[in-house]
Amino acid sequence: MVTQVPSVRGTKRPGSRKQRPMSGTGGRTAALFLTPFFAVFAVAMVAPVIYAVVLSFFAQQKSGLGFSEAKTSFVGLENYLQVLQSESFVGGIGRLALYCAIYIPCMVGGALAFALLLDAAVARARKLFQLLVFLPHAVPGVIAALIWAYLYTPGVSPIVSALESGGVAVNFLDHQMILPSIVNIAVWEWTGYNVIILFTALQAVPREILEAARVDGAGEIRSALSIKLPLILPALSVIMLFTVIGTLQLFTEPSIISKATASVTSTWVPNMWAYDAAFNRHNLNQAAAASIIIALMAAVLSWAVTRFSSRTNKA
Amino acid sequence: MKRRQLLLGTVSLMASAALITGCGSSPAATSAPAPTGDPTGTVTFWSSLAGMDKVAAAFNASQDKIKVTFETVPNGASGGYAKLSTAITAGNGPDVATIEYPQLPQFVSNGQLQPLDGLIDKAATLDKLSDETKALVQFDEKTYALPYDAAPMIMWYRKDVLEKAGVGVPKTWEEFEAAGQKIKAVAPEAHLASFNPNEAALTAALSWQAGAKWFGTDADSWKVGINDQSTQKVADYWQKLIDQKIVKVQQSFSDEWSADLASGAVVGVLGANWSATGIQKRTEASGQKGQWIAAEVPNWGSPSDAFYGGSSFNVTKSSKNPAAAAKFIEYLTTSPDAIKARGNTGSAFLASPGLTPVAQSAFDASYFGNDIYEVFNKAYSTITPGWQWGPNWDITNTALKDAYGTLSTGGKVRDAVDAAQKATVDGLKQNGLSVKE
Repeated sequence: MVTQVPSVRGTKRPGSRKQRPMSGTGGRTAALFLTPFFAVFAVAMVAPVIYAVVLSFFAQQKSGLGFSEAKTSFVGLENYLQVLQSESFVGGIGRLALYCAIYIPCMVGGALAFALLLDAAVARARKLFQLLVFLPHAVPGVIAALIWAYLYTPGVSPIVSALESGGVAVNFLDHQMILPSIVNIAVWEWTGYNVIILFTALQAVPREILEAARVDGAGEIRSALSIKLPLILPALSVIMLFTVIGTLQLFTEPSIISKATASVTSTWVPNMWAYDAAFNRHNLNQAAAASIIIALMAAVLSWAVTRFSSRTNKA
Repeated sequence: MKRRQLLLGTVSLMASAALITGCGSSPAATSAPAPTGDPTGTVTFWSSLAGMDKVAAAFNASQDKIKVTFETVPNGASGGYAKLSTAITAGNGPDVATIEYPQLPQFVSNGQLQPLDGLIDKAATLDKLSDETKALVQFDEKTYALPYDAAPMIMWYRKDVLEKAGVGVPKTWEEFEAAGQKIKAVAPEAHLASFNPNEAALTAALSWQAGAKWFGTDADSWKVGINDQSTQKVADYWQKLIDQKIVKVQQSFSDEWSADLASGAVVGVLGANWSATGIQKRTEASGQKGQWIAAEVPNWGSPSDAFYGGSSFNVTKSSKNPAAAAKFIEYLTTSPDAIKARGNTGSAFLASPGLTPVAQSAFDASYFGNDIYEVFNKAYSTITPGWQWGPNWDITNTALKDAYGTLSTGGKVRDAVDAAQKATVDGLKQNGLSVKE
């Protein structure tokens, strides 16, 4: 998964002024400071993307037994068609949708509950729980996946054997359980991180409003649902946005788990499909097309989420 | 808001595109020059085989014309081939690479290897090999690699468990099934072996042993027969073993597999000569010394075997010094010094005649309850001839592995080989190759 950049919008304080860049020398100084960033950005980001787009319109065609040189030819959108017609790619998208349907409510709901609890908790306990909740996120994704693979593996895992001795036979790695199992890893990894974002937003809720609510007779639960929740909606929508994009990038966890079980196929999610196309099937052109499709999906989804959340914010 | 959306969209676009970058620039086209008398220069060598660093050092010490720089790379299952293929395409691959037989035609077909004809001393290398091994490295009448090991498929058993169940070492697959049933009777939790859904090459070897031909050529077309009659026989047989729980479906080399070998939940390993160290490592701590024996793989009536694994050395397209690289390959595959230098790294069985005794004396086989090399030799003499690997093993490998994903929840081996056949034919056709089913 890509690292998520925390970006928190608290509620706007009345009377805060917009800062305008100073005219004159300011522009030049800004340019001076921004140039290194844009230079690296162009070389490491823009150029590869353009190259990927170009690649996606060509194909390497072999002939006969394939031992003679391959011909590269312009094929237009054929690579895109092949990707979209591929059962495994479309299946991967479906799997991803199912993953989102389980993951997002669990993770965002969990994070919200934790954050509200933390906000309501006694100040001393707050620091400790904040740390405990955030701790899993400090574990790198690859390591987390390895740890969970161990915890899921029958015959090795203390959890599985404990469940077995309690009369519950469950194989976390089989064909049906594997999706919830991977969702569980992601929830474990990301809930704490999002708790911090939501908690920070909660801290910015003006105390006088909460006090007013209390005076009016609202209990903790009522003020959490009717006061705090609406006020942190912007932060919540930022979380949704990053989560949706992060989900599309799903790769690390399933590819690590695939070493432990055959249930995770090599084309399990779209990103793995692209990897498989590039490095197993040696079809870079198709891999490029698949990557562009994934990126477009991310763009459309991001747009939809921001659009939807900005509307609900206004409402 | 607008700008942020745009930026986010772009960022995710980058992240996806970053996956496939770095594999771009066109392959460095170097045509193979004629062999010169005494090649000199430096040669880079990539391998994931243990002890190859020592072999490179020994080669450097033995002469002063060619200097070999060794680099350890991940093995194929961990992305070693992706790295190699990408590096060759980008023009900065090694001079000498290590490639297993199933993957070799794919590298040849992608134009990533140089033919060795004219670079190597044919009489001292190729001409001494058996036809079965030669067939693995020659394509379109050219030689693209020199074989290092020739790995016969071997069945490993826990002797004590067989004795407890009152069965001898199974000679045929029928006896194997009966032995499994008897073991179940005395130890209900035990499995005679495991069926490894992650090892498509093992399914290939079992089918090869049964007389299947997954790949072949007919004039200018590939013939693909991954679900041919012999393979179907093998698939149905293993399905029967899975259904009776005589074998356990599990990934080989996984934690689960290791734990089951140590605990005795699995008492046999269908592997090859190279399985010895892996078995020893996983079972030594649980006091199984002297209990493991090697045996010829059960057969379908008359003794026969197939190769399971094994690597070859080759000169990549990106090599600027193919003559020196070829010289080093000759040393790797034919010199007893190279085998000696590698030390006690595993129970190697080599393609070049005369080298295996050297490997045998370097390997400490005292952990095992019988003369494993005697078994290897017997198995090697019964390899079924006529097998050929196809032009893109990874398609087949992936398709079969993926189809095996449902085995633990009621999927069938027979359906998996059908799926692999379809995926392979479709995949090859998509690459523009001519395919006949």
